[in-house]
Amino acid sequence: MAAAEIFFEHERWGRNLAWSAGFHLAVAASILVYTVIAPGGRGEGWGSGGGGDAIGVTLVSTVPLPANPVQTQNVLANESKGLSQSLPKPEVKEPEAIPIPDTNAKKKAKAETTPTHQKPQPEPVEEANNVVPFGQGGPVSGPYGVFSAGGAKGGFGVTGGGGDFGTRYAWYVRVVQQKVSENWLKYEVDPRITEAQRVYITFDVLRDGRPASVQVEQSSGVPSLDQSAVRAIQRIDTFGPLPSDYSGNKVSVEFWFDYKR
Amino acid sequence: MKLFLSWIIAILLLLSLPTWAQQDWIRTGTGLGVEKVRLAVPDFKASTQDPKTPELLKVFNDTLWNDLDNAGIFDMVSKSFYPVEVPGAPPDVKFEAWSSQPPNASMLAFGNLGISGANATVQGWLYDVKNVTSPQVLGKQYQDAATSDAVRTIAHKFADEIIFRLGGGIPGIAESKIFFVSSRSGHKEIWAMDYDGANQHALTHLGSISLSPRISPDGSRLAFSSLTKTGWEILMYSLDLDRMVTFPKFGGTNLSPAWSADGTKLAFSSSRSGDSEIYVMDSSGANLKRITSFKGPDVSPVWNRKTGAQIAWVSGRSGLPQIYTMEADGTNVQRLTDEGYAVSPAWSPNGQFLVFSWIRHYGPGAPGAQDIYIMDIVSKQWVQLTHDGGRNDFPSWSHDGRHIIFQSSRAGGEQIWTMLADGTNQKRLTTAGSNTQPNWSWK
Repeated sequence: MAAAEIFFEHERWGRNLAWSAGFHLAVAASILVYTVIAPGGRGEGWGSGGGGDAIGVTLVSTVPLPANPVQTQNVLANESKGLSQSLPKPEVKEPEAIPIPDTNAKKKAKAETTPTHQKPQPEPVEEANNVVPFGQGGPVSGPYGVFSAGGAKGGFGVTGGGGDFGTRYAWYVRVVQQKVSENWLKYEVDPRITEAQRVYITFDVLRDGRPASVQVEQSSGVPSLDQSAVRAIQRIDTFGPLPSDYSGNKVSVEFWFDYKR
Repeated sequence: MKLFLSWIIAILLLLSLPTWAQQDWIRTGTGLGVEKVRLAVPDFKASTQDPKTPELLKVFNDTLWNDLDNAGIFDMVSKSFYPVEVPGAPPDVKFEAWSSQPPNASMLAFGNLGISGANATVQGWLYDVKNVTSPQVLGKQYQDAATSDAVRTIAHKFADEIIFRLGGGIPGIAESKIFFVSSRSGHKEIWAMDYDGANQHALTHLGSISLSPRISPDGSRLAFSSLTKTGWEILMYSLDLDRMVTFPKFGGTNLSPAWSADGTKLAFSSSRSGDSEIYVMDSSGANLKRITSFKGPDVSPVWNRKTGAQIAWVSGRSGLPQIYTMEADGTNVQRLTDEGYAVSPAWSPNGQFLVFSWIRHYGPGAPGAQDIYIMDIVSKQWVQLTHDGGRNDFPSWSHDGRHIIFQSSRAGGEQIWTMLADGTNQKRLTTAGSNTQPNWSWK
């Protein structure tokens, strides 16, 4: 009896298991079917706006950070004598070889001097075209030298007149140059312009570093270029106070911009 | 844009014509050919024999070097190039040894540190070593307590001074603070730290969940949102009093407060009317005014830090969250991002850029990563700053406009990272626990 009851129980349990398995399979299948049929509901709602092109790329140079260093490409295209002197190479005389009195050596030398049928190979002449002759080098490359980029070339120097601001405070001149370059936004210039005359801007740097009296001294003939140059200066809050041991109360700056693309 | 654009400028001279006897002229230009200044910073020397000197000297030298390196305007000359004898005072400077190879430095920062009794004295100089006739750009002397905290502050001050001079009036950030959310105590509390990750400490101990800390422009108060008994509310912490101060509760879910540049107003998002919208109020909590009313969530407002006249925020009115701008009264709504999933805008101090977090290709199967982007608001041109994987979110500008702090999961858990505003020089600041939602102080 007991055994029969156990069998009976076992059979009922098995049926339930089958039902359970069937039900689970049905649930799993319905989930699968739903995911196939239903379009990603929430994703669709959020993502429906998705069309449209990217706005465009821009250069990091519009971020107010120092521009990528552009190395001087040719320091020789300048007639000024270099600040760095490459001395002429001193001639080093090789110690004269002492011929060893040896019969073999004599024979060998004789064999070499005998003419052969081969044409004498012209010795390759080493063109030392990358050597800077003494006194003819360009200025030192770096912030205060000539620079060139993209075929255009410009340069600047600091020469002393009566005042000596540029020589005494070269670091401040560099700051001015860098600040303005960071604040000139290329896209303000009319995109149809590919080349323009040089534009000259003058302004003062006051004692506390503020720029003032910004003026177009000589127009490029392209209003948008003139404007962008003026705005570059106006956009600057301060260049930093003038050097504390400088006695004047302002410094005047003249810029020129060669625009080309 | 394949068009090649080049321009050149040139610098010349100063001449003083007889009539302008006192007038100095610079003829100069910008653009190409500007390189980073090569700056050499030899270790400062000990000027006294006090036994505490070496320890403080190390703190000072490390801090000064890191500050100058982080500034991003210098090409730091590696110490291995330095001459054997480094100067501790002006007479020791051998110009030729520093200005020629191998250091080839154009600037040299040097000095000494001495301890007398309980005081530490630091003398520091900045020399233009390529200008032998008048080399001194800066000469400073500092005196403070002989503790490592005080010495670190001196180093920050000297570094800021150098950056201010050579960066053309860039305000130094070495003394700025960063506020963030950390869970390292078990609850999400508001923490603070120095800009370089030093001196991390908890501000709040609410035992709840606190998010989106925002420091006021004058640095006296900190607004944040926290889960209270009545739901998410804006709370206010006074840094002057070192305790919470009372602030009105509005009901609904109130999130992400944002200070206006003059510190008189706060913008935040509130769902008190049902839908999440942008509200503006006085910094006291009075004069509540709703400025958006569109279907869909409007959250994360930030003010234009330069003008205070515009607000950028995140809106879900068109589906996925996108960045929008409007005038502070709610007019002139403009959409900035055109695709993907864009959140967490922050306005640059000069008002020119927005930095935000963007998943440009969002959706099932899209190869989207969440990265930090900068957008020029006028031209709507953008630049991607992070590319290193993980989720990068919650960017915030430093007040010099040259650094961005953000949270990133690239190294596993959420941690706080900093970088220059062009995406270079990325560094991790936090390690313990989970640290999120950084906010950089205004000064």
